[in-house]
Amino acid sequence: MNRLHSGNGKRLKTSLVILIGALSLGGCATTGEPQTTASKVDPNESINRDIFAFNDVVDDYVAKPISDSYKWVTPQFVQTGIFNFFNNLKNVNVVINDVLQGKFQQSAEDSGRFLVNSTIGLGGLVDVAKDVGLKQNDEDFDQTLAVWGVPQGSYIVLPLLGPTTVRGIPGAILDTAANPASYIGMPIQLVQMLNARANAQGSLDVVKEGALDPYVFIREGYLQTREHLATDGKSQATNDVDNDFADDAASPKSATDKKAATSTSSTDKANYALRLTAAEQSSNSFGGVTQSFDNTAKSFENASSKIDQLEKQKHSRKAK
Amino acid sequence: MVLKNVKLVAIFIGLLLGVSNVFAADAGTATAKHVVDKFQSELIVVMKNGKQLGYVGRYDKLRDSVTNSHDLNKIARIVVGKEWEKLSEEQQKKLVDVFSRLSIASYAHNFKEYGGEAFTIDSEEETTRGGVVVYAHLSIPNDKDVKFEYHLKENDKSWRIINIVANGVSDLALKRSEYTSILQREGFDTLIAKINEKIDNYSKL
Repeated sequence: MNRLHSGNGKRLKTSLVILIGALSLGGCATTGEPQTTASKVDPNESINRDIFAFNDVVDDYVAKPISDSYKWVTPQFVQTGIFNFFNNLKNVNVVINDVLQGKFQQSAEDSGRFLVNSTIGLGGLVDVAKDVGLKQNDEDFDQTLAVWGVPQGSYIVLPLLGPTTVRGIPGAILDTAANPASYIGMPIQLVQMLNARANAQGSLDVVKEGALDPYVFIREGYLQTREHLATDGKSQATNDVDNDFADDAASPKSATDKKAATSTSSTDKANYALRLTAAEQSSNSFGGVTQSFDNTAKSFENASSKIDQLEKQKHSRKAK
Repeated sequence: MVLKNVKLVAIFIGLLLGVSNVFAADAGTATAKHVVDKFQSELIVVMKNGKQLGYVGRYDKLRDSVTNSHDLNKIARIVVGKEWEKLSEEQQKKLVDVFSRLSIASYAHNFKEYGGEAFTIDSEEETTRGGVVVYAHLSIPNDKDVKFEYHLKENDKSWRIINIVANGVSDLALKRSEYTSILQREGFDTLIAKINEKIDNYSKL
């Protein structure tokens, strides 16, 4: 819950990613019919879809009406102030996780950010640090666990709380425990939730307007954003691998299989191996959380060894 | 004398060829960036005139911008993954057509106003498979920058965008999950109906 952030979604709704701020609150209309599991990371898709649909109904009938009235009665500067206040408290978590991830310089900057805003920034109501040039970093316990090598595990939609992963649950518990806002007491926390929901409106609109399948849209957006944050944006190599994968998938099947079987290029071999393990995994998987936990770990290893290989090739090509 | 003239002509031709080679090389290396740059500045122009143009006006302006900078055929194919082979030729054509219209419509809908935003290209990098990634960012006044990665591939000697990654979220991967999921769960006709519904909504919003 503490991960809720920004998503001002202003005039320009270009960035699909701001929607992530809204994710904990579930999405929009969805069809609740049975399906075939399409994604390896989501072995419990049918249960998740049901919970997603439930969250959506709760959001439509409870959260959205309350949040709309809140937005209507609360001036924008008050909303911004409240957002800044809770965002500032979250910096305690950011600093702890900076240290746990060995980012010592960043931890010093983030401590400075927290101190400046807590004092000159009137207890955090005004984001003075931004004007000084200290940017807000985003670190949490889930990211720390990722840095420590804990695999993500399968995707889970929790009732009322929304999307997370197996690794995200202990992460969120630690986040809540470390955040001073958790100890303030109920009425103020309610304001935090309301404010977060109100800020998320722009992002939720993007999902409603743009998504063909809101459940899948939010799942992919959530997982990709978490990956991006955990790797501090250094996961572009995987994106590239993804593209290559997509290319293979798009070309005629017989041709790619032949190519993979006969080609001497190590990249193609790596591709083929990855595809084989992927096929194995999907045929073996029967939806157990622990099982998928192991599988994710394995596929992570596969992906990283593939990236290593690609990297090596690049180097050797450069050397030539 | 004649020989001298021939020599001069030869040198002249040589020079011409040399110059044109230089131009060709220049075009070859610079176009991926140019394609992105041109597309981004056309977007900004449309945003600045967004209100006067209206949805239809923006759609008309952006039709050429999007089709000339994106490889919509290829994107539509990748987006449905392995399901592409299972589609008939007619269905494939239909998919490319509605997908292209949806892409333009979503640009026309989302880039309707201008509030001081600016695109900046940061760098360019070749990928292992002969593609190019152009790194850029969008500055929004009073808000965080949005980082963009444009993935381009060469098609018929011109560079075309096949994927845009915004703050780490790959548009292609997102769409691929959505489209294949719908195709598997609900079939081709529902997919087309859903896309048409979105295009329709964009025009009304």
